[in-house]
Formats: sequence, structure tokens, C-alpha cells
Amino acid sequence: MTRLPVQPGEVLDRTKSLSFEWNGERLTAFEGDTIASAILANGNRILARSMKYHRPRGLLTADFWDPNAFVQVGDDPNVRSAHRLVENGMDVSAQNVWPSLDYDIKAANGVVGRFLTAGFYYKTFMKPAKLWPAYEKVLAQFAPGGKVDLTTPHMYHDKRYAHPDVLVAGGGPAGMAAALGAAESGAQVMLVEHNHHLGGSLLWGSDADRAAAAELAAAVTAHDNIEVLINSTVTGRYEDNWCSIAQRSHHIAVERLIKARAKMLVVAPGLIERPYVFAGNDKPGVMLSGAAQRLINMYAVKPGQRAVVFTANAHGDSTVADLERAGIDVARVVDARTGGNVVAAKGGSKSVEEVELGDGTTVEADLLITAIGWTAPTSLLNLAGDRPQYDPAAARFFSSQLPDNILVTGGIAGDGTTDQLVAHGRSTGQHAAARAEVVAATLQKLTTRAADYDGDVPSFPADNRQPLGRDPHPELFRSTTHGLVDYSEDVGSKDLFAAAKEGYDSVELIKRFTTATMGPAQGKLETVNTVAVLAEARGETIAEVGTTVWRPPYAPITLGALGGRIFEPVRVSSIQPWHEANRATPILAGQWVRPEHYGNPDAEVRNTRENVGIIDVTPLGKLDLRGADVPKLLSMLYTNKWMQLPVGGVRYGVMCAEDGVVMDDGVTGHIADDHYIMTTTSSGAGGVWEWAENWLQTEHPDWDVHITPVTTAFTSINVAGPKSRELVAKLTDVDLDPEAFKYMQVRTGTIAGVENCFMWRIGFTGELSYELHVPSGYGLHVWETLLAEGADLGIKAFGLEAQRIMRLEKGHFIVGQDTDGLTKMPSVGMNGLIKLDKDDFAGKAELADSINRTDLPKVVAIQTTDPTIVPFEASQIVRAGTNEIIGRITSSRMSPTLNRSICLGQVLPEAAEPGSTLTVVMTSGERVTAKVMEHHAHYDPEGSRLRI
Amino acid sequence: MPDFASPVLKTYPTAIGEQTLTDVSATTKALVRAPRGSDAAAELGVNFGSSRVADGTLVVGIRPTEWLVLGPADAVWAFTDAIDSTGHVSKVDFTHGRALFRITGTQSAKVLEKICSLDWADNMMPDGAATSASVAKVTCDIVRNDVDGVRSYFLASDRSSGQYLFDAILDAGTEFDLGVVPG
Repeated sequence: MTRLPVQPGEVLDRTKSLSFEWNGERLTAFEGDTIASAILANGNRILARSMKYHRPRGLLTADFWDPNAFVQVGDDPNVRSAHRLVENGMDVSAQNVWPSLDYDIKAANGVVGRFLTAGFYYKTFMKPAKLWPAYEKVLAQFAPGGKVDLTTPHMYHDKRYAHPDVLVAGGGPAGMAAALGAAESGAQVMLVEHNHHLGGSLLWGSDADRAAAAELAAAVTAHDNIEVLINSTVTGRYEDNWCSIAQRSHHIAVERLIKARAKMLVVAPGLIERPYVFAGNDKPGVMLSGAAQRLINMYAVKPGQRAVVFTANAHGDSTVADLERAGIDVARVVDARTGGNVVAAKGGSKSVEEVELGDGTTVEADLLITAIGWTAPTSLLNLAGDRPQYDPAAARFFSSQLPDNILVTGGIAGDGTTDQLVAHGRSTGQHAAARAEVVAATLQKLTTRAADYDGDVPSFPADNRQPLGRDPHPELFRSTTHGLVDYSEDVGSKDLFAAAKEGYDSVELIKRFTTATMGPAQGKLETVNTVAVLAEARGETIAEVGTTVWRPPYAPITLGALGGRIFEPVRVSSIQPWHEANRATPILAGQWVRPEHYGNPDAEVRNTRENVGIIDVTPLGKLDLRGADVPKLLSMLYTNKWMQLPVGGVRYGVMCAEDGVVMDDGVTGHIADDHYIMTTTSSGAGGVWEWAENWLQTEHPDWDVHITPVTTAFTSINVAGPKSRELVAKLTDVDLDPEAFKYMQVRTGTIAGVENCFMWRIGFTGELSYELHVPSGYGLHVWETLLAEGADLGIKAFGLEAQRIMRLEKGHFIVGQDTDGLTKMPSVGMNGLIKLDKDDFAGKAELADSINRTDLPKVVAIQTTDPTIVPFEASQIVRAGTNEIIGRITSSRMSPTLNRSICLGQVLPEAAEPGSTLTVVMTSGERVTAKVMEHHAHYDPEGSRLRI
Repeated sequence: MPDFASPVLKTYPTAIGEQTLTDVSATTKALVRAPRGSDAAAELGVNFGSSRVADGTLVVGIRPTEWLVLGPADAVWAFTDAIDSTGHVSKVDFTHGRALFRITGTQSAKVLEKICSLDWADNMMPDGAATSASVAKVTCDIVRNDVDGVRSYFLASDRSSGQYLFDAILDAGTEFDLGVVPG
């Protein structure tokens, strides 16, 4: 065991012991332990194997970014063990090792490692291309990462929106102070901390540091204006300070995506300690100073027995004191500021055993601590358009051109004592609050619904903050030896030199060629070293080489969180409870859930043809049109004439786009003076409404027309069949006498005791039918009353499938099924409805030309020679004896009424003449013959059944 | 006339939580359209984005030149019938075309934050404010109408989406102790 006695800053609750499994072995932990700290506390040092060479790996950073600590937890792969807290009963195992973490056969890769240089795969497996499937199978066995269990149920993820005045990214001293400064100025603040605790580097610092952190954290959590999110990350910043936040700490979801529109963003992520490049720098036992301090001070874990410390700054110096306090023998402190250097970590593959120094001496040690500088995590600034600039004196990058709605504080802005950082943070928060007030005022002034804003919006206040200084720091990137630059990808400095020699001398190119910076840490540990090594290889400065562009997310986020809660609206009619109770088979038509059938669509057809049937057609688009200029609008939208439609009349119309392509069809009834109801196809309702509004608002704002979509205000029921009049007559006060209420007329009245209904006589099914439209609050009542009153007439409900069959028997085309995005109106055989003598209508210019064209395909009715054969919809029609496509089947069914196959199709004009013989290619490849019918209607082409 | 059937088709046990969700779809709703600057617009008395209580109704400016009048049937029709119809003015009974829900509670905005991207801060959405937005991917008219000083919002959606929306709000409200209270 390497667990230390109680440490003053530890985050463990020693009263709560936990138990978990690591590679099948039962280990203990305390609440507050990370998986990694607990594994180390139990005397284990190796947590994983590297991606390519399967080299044993121990902790490097001991935090979220540690590239050496990915494990499998149950069915959850690639878990960051240095961040994820232990839970009782966890099943943790090493991933991508065989047969075990200690003895991994795949480590043989390391033997041939010198041949596996950057670009090896690209160069080796390109040829012969036909062998790639074989290569792929073998290479897949070496794919890194854990195991994904495809049977794992989808977990609950969540999403929320937020509009904080000030969003602070980073809960270190400066970030907390910024949150307080902003909140004390009256701003609503969201403070987001990546780790499990507020405090940043103060948490593993001195007693005074921890006291300062505790005081700030207490103030922050107590402040009503501050919402604190720990174990959460601002993963991206987009236009207008739209920020994405991954919250991993909410009790209702494994991960929650917060979309925050921040008036001001304060970026205070601190600094990320950077590894040093030298031979053997990935041996277990080589770690950064911050890792050692975290392990000792926060998790009470002794990281080794005998240490060498390579330091270039005060953090390295303070680590020496921590190591000694933990009882670790500090064998040598190598100070880079006085010319000291580390050349190599030597020993077996499972632990460093000795350290070779720049002065040629060798020191026995199982622990090598490096403290050679930091990377400024400027990702959020990059995303805001900033191009950070390198300051060689401070050996790190700083922001250069921030937009007005972003401020930086803390280590990313400069250096200072804790008091100085806190002071800068606080003044930054205050300034952010002042700027947020200006943004808020601007928004308030621009937003109609907002409270009135008196006066002019003020300008941004002057930025009077005292800037932080920049401490000098030696530039330390690579020693005199080669070592790993990217631990995640097993990319070394030698690979980068080789790539540069091959011509990959741009940082963006070398990144992609070698995959350096493309691992799970996404460059947090590797980018600056990559740039520095490339600069060295090219003989240039870091500033000249520049950096890659950091893209979101700042930290990985699960796909589940990005998906969030799944919103998939569905729409149902008021009759849905009846459909469900009567076991309708549902079908999704757009967002609508509709009954496809109630068990036997053929029987539903026969009953409707013989008796009476009812169908719920509520999704049929309905627009209420009011105003004196409605006829003008209708004349503009439809190709036929509308100026003389009398009150009580109903007319069918086809709507074309400006290119003459059919876009919708339907009937419109003249309900009363200046009042019409237009119906559209179910799928076209929204589009037609927009199309009509477009004509009104942009072309004819002078017309008095109000359009109100009333699709679901009315429940629509089609009552069809020879006994439909007899049935409806039982329920309504409307005179249904054929002379009083003719085909293609509309009437208003009461149905089943429900007032304010309207009905019209139309016939999509080809039978005598009444389409009833009743206020939806009473739709179910009318439906059930129809069924009760129609029992003696043989009434049965029918679904969408029966309706499709009947409309096909009748030869009615469906826009979007029998037509497509190129079908102009002359193709559908309705040239009689194209009234070119009207002043204008949508599509007129195009139709004036296309009406005379002889090369347009035609929609025709088709009957197969063998009446039992029903070609699938979309079956190709070819020229006999060839593969030349001359058309396709657009609709097909077996007609229960005619006992034969019935089809509609589109064919080229030379094959469209009635009686023409067609060759239809079945999906089996078999070819069958069919002929073009004289009428679209297979059934009752004269329409005699409609007009009775 | 038969009983009005709500677009919320399922039944829910009454559960009085810290926040409450109530189906008030049976409320009479009239849609009034009138030209900008007309006498009718003046009588309606509110601009787009705001609402007011008038003669036992709630008059909401839901879009430029478009108002929704909510309330008991008698009050709504008395109010709308009295509006000057000179010029191009239309009045449509929209009772059956809209589901209408009320969500009330100090944390009600927090519930809505989970399903709607609006800024619910007092200065951006004060009591009486009205707007339209996507709520759980359903287009809704939204009115803030506080009750005895407690935050409360009306949400009106297309009737056919009512059941879906009701469930989506309930799901969002789980962490805020949202309960269903009969209307």
C-alpha cells in the first residue's frame, strides 16, 4: 500500500470505504478517490498500455488530461481513470491488452517500432488496393481503446439552455474571484469548473493556498447570483458567445449539455503543465510536478520511493518539499535555471530505475518529476477568432485579439501571486459585469417582448484593469535525446524530425501526417512540444512555425450528451384514443401517427364500396381564408379560375411552382361571403401556407386576405360509400337531398349535436361521400356517434391503406408519389385546368410553354397482362428488348374490388397512348408486360357513383 | 353540445408539486387579425409581444397585427364582438385549434429552460410578455402571466401536438417537482 497518513489538503472521506475490482482483484478506496489514485494507493503503478507499442504506462498528469490512464469501467470504455471517481462495486479493467496488463503480447510491436514510423500505414497498406480488406481485418485487431458493448441500453442524457450575464470558464482562484466580482456587481453568473473541486492549483498548494481556495469557494457557493457547475467543461464557444457546456455532475443524467448564451465569457482555465521530451519519458514513474502534488496532497498517495526532480520554476521547487514531507527520498534536484538537464529515464519497461542527467551522472530513482513549464489552453479563445502569440520570455502563448464579449484572467492572462491573481480575477469579473450590462441593454432594446428600456444604451466601459505580469521562464521542450511528444498516439520527436524531412514542414500537415496532438488530450499536452520540435527541425522559431487551430470540443463529450433528450414531436388527431382502443396498426406519416388499417384493408375497401366506411382524415391540410381578395389569391395560387365560385361551391385545383412543377392539390370551399376553406395534401399543409403567405406578403400586400391554418382545429372524417347519405342524414340538420346538396358543394351546420361544422361532397374514394369537419374538441364524439348510428348500415372504419387502394382504383394521383420534383402539370393529364387566359398565376409563364410540349412524360393508368402480378412501386418500365428506361410504376396495389392488379405510372409520351404495351422490370429481374389504360380510373371512370 | 375533449388524451394523477402543470385547453381562444393602426388594433390595446387583462379576458399580441384572446367563452365573445370590424378585420374561433397549458411555480422558468432556448430573465420576458418559440421542437405561443406574484406561463401549441408537448414538459419538470393539477 502506498496510502499516506491523512494529508491536510486531501479530498478523501476516510470514513467511507469503497470496494472495487481492478483486473479482477478486489481493491479498496475512500470516497473522493479517483480510480487511478485508488489503484496507486493499492500499490499498483501501471494503469494502461500505450496505443501503438503497448508500452506500460503509469500516471503522467494525474488529472483529466492524463494520456496514460484510460480504463474500461464495466461496459463503459475509455474512462479517464485519473478523473473519474471510484464508486462502490465498480468493475475496472485495463483495456486493449492481451492476455493481461502485465504481460501484453501486443507489446511485440515495440520490437519492430523503428519500422513503424509516421506514415507507415499510409505507405504500406495502400497497395495492392485489393488486399485492403485483408489488411483491415488484421489491423482492426490492433485498434486502440476499450470495448463497446452494443447491447448497453441508451442512457438518459439531458439538455438545458442558459443565458448567464457572465459565464466563467474555470474555477481556480482567478475564475472564482471573477465570478464573485461579477456577482457582487449584480450579474447572474455561471461558474464552470472542469474538475471535481473548486480551487485549481491552490488545492495541491500550501496551507495558505488551500485556505485561500476554501475561502473563495465558500463565498462563491454561498452567493445567490452564482450557479456553480463542477465536473463540467465549457467545451466550445461559438458566434455571439453561444457556449456549449458538458455537465458531468448532474444527478438526473450521466451527462448534460448546456447551451449557454453568455453576454460575457470570462476564460480562466489556468495553465496545463507540459511534459518534457527525453529518452524514456513515458516510463512509469516519470510524472509532472502537478501530478505528484495532486497525488500526495489531494489523494494521500505516495507516488514513489526515491525521486529526481527536474525543475525550472517554483512549482517544481515546492514539489520537492511535498515529496520530502511524504517520506520520499529526493535523491537529486536538477535545476534547469542553472543549466541542469535530464537526458534519459532508464530501467525496465515497467518502471524508471535510474535517471541520466545532463552532466553525465546517473542517479538511481523510481520517480522522475519534471516541472518545465506550461501550455496555455487557449482553445476557447481560438474559437473566438483569437490567434494566440508566443512569448519566448515567458515560454508560452498569450491571447492577442479578443472580441469585446470575452475577457481572460488567471494563468492564461499572466503570472502573479495568489493575491494578484485573485485581484485580477475580481476586477475582470467586475468589468465583465459592466460589459454584460451593456449587452443586456442592447438586447432588451432590440427585443419586442422585453421590458421597456429607458434611455440610450451606454457604450462599453473603459478597461482599467491592472494587467498581470509575465514571469520569465526558460524555454524547455526537448532534451538532447529523443522521446515521446504525444503519449496518446505514441508519436516521438524522432517521428516529427523524420516527417519534417519528408516535407511535412507545416504544423497543420505534420499534425495530420503523424497524428501528433490528435489523441484524447487533443493537444493540451502535446501541441507546444510538437511546434517546438518542428521549429527545431526546421531551424526556425516557435513564433515562425505557429500553432494548429484548436477546434471544439475543448474536452471530449459523449454523443449521448450532444444528442441530449430526444425531441421527436408526434401529432395525433382527436380520434387517436379510438384508433388505439381498436388496435389500429399505426403508420407514421410525417409527424402524424395515423391508422394504416384495422386488421384487413381489403375488407375495409369492400365494405366501403358496398356499405359505408369512415376514415379519420384530420391531417388533411386546412387553411381558413378570409377577406375580400381571397378569390384573387386563389387565382394566383391555382392554375384554374376562382373568381366566380359561388357560396356553397367547392372546386378542385392544382398548384404549381413557378417552374410549372406540380406542388400540391386540393379542394377549396366557399363557406360564406369572404370566407373560404382551402384543403391541401397532408404533407403539403405547412408548405402551402408559407407559399400563400409569401404571395401575400411579398407580391400582394395590398390584398385583404387573412390566412389561418386550421388543420387541427377541425377533426375531419370522410364518410364514404353508397349508404353514406343515409348515415349522415341521421346526424345532421343539413339538407342532404341530392338536388339541395350536390357533388362538389359545401354546407355548414350541426353534426351529432355539434355546432359550427362544415361538410362537403367530394370523392377521393370514388364513392358517394361526405367529408365532415367538426371542431376538434368534439371530434371523437362525432366519430363514435357515426359508428353507433351506422351499425345497422354495416359501417366500419377504414384506414390509410384502404383509402390508398380506393383512390388508386379511382385513378387519383397523389402529389409527391405519382408526381416528382420534375413533373409539370401537363404530365398529369389536367391541361383543362390550366387557364392561360387568366391575368397571372404561379407557373403561368412556364406552363404556357410546356402545355404544348410533346416530350413530357405522362401519368397513365397501367394494367399488367397477368392480372395477378403487382409490380412494386418504383419498378422500372423499359423499352421492350432493351434496358432503356422509359418510365416507372408510381403506385400499385391488388384491387379487392376488381380482383386484379392496378397501377399508375409515369412513362415517356411515345409509350403513353392508351393500349400501348409496356415492359415492366420486376425486382426479381423478371420482365412482365402491361398495357396503358384509356382512363386514369380503373373503377367507375364515369364517376357515376359519386354523383348519386 | 357534448363535453369538450382535451388534446391531452392520457390521464394523470393529480400531484401538487412545487411547480404545477395544468391543461387549460378548454379555454376559449379567439384569433383576431386587424391592420396596424386600425380602430380594432387600438381596442385590442396591446402590441405584439405583450398582453393585458381586459373584461375578463387575456388579450395577447402574438404576432404583428394578430391577437389571441383567451378566457371564458362569454367574456371572449363579448369582447371580440365589440371590436370594431371596419376594414379588414377577422375573428376566428381558435378554441379547438390550440392546446393550452399553464405552468406555474418559482422554478417554472427553469423547467422551460430545458426545452426552450428563450431567455426567461425578468427584463427579457417580464410578466405580461408574449412571444413565439420552439418548445421541445413544437412551435408555441408563450405568454407570461404570473399568478399572485408567482411566475406562470401559458403555452399554446397546435392541438395535435398537445399530448406530446404535455409529456415533454412533464419530463423536463421531473427535477423541479413538477406535478399535474387539473384545470
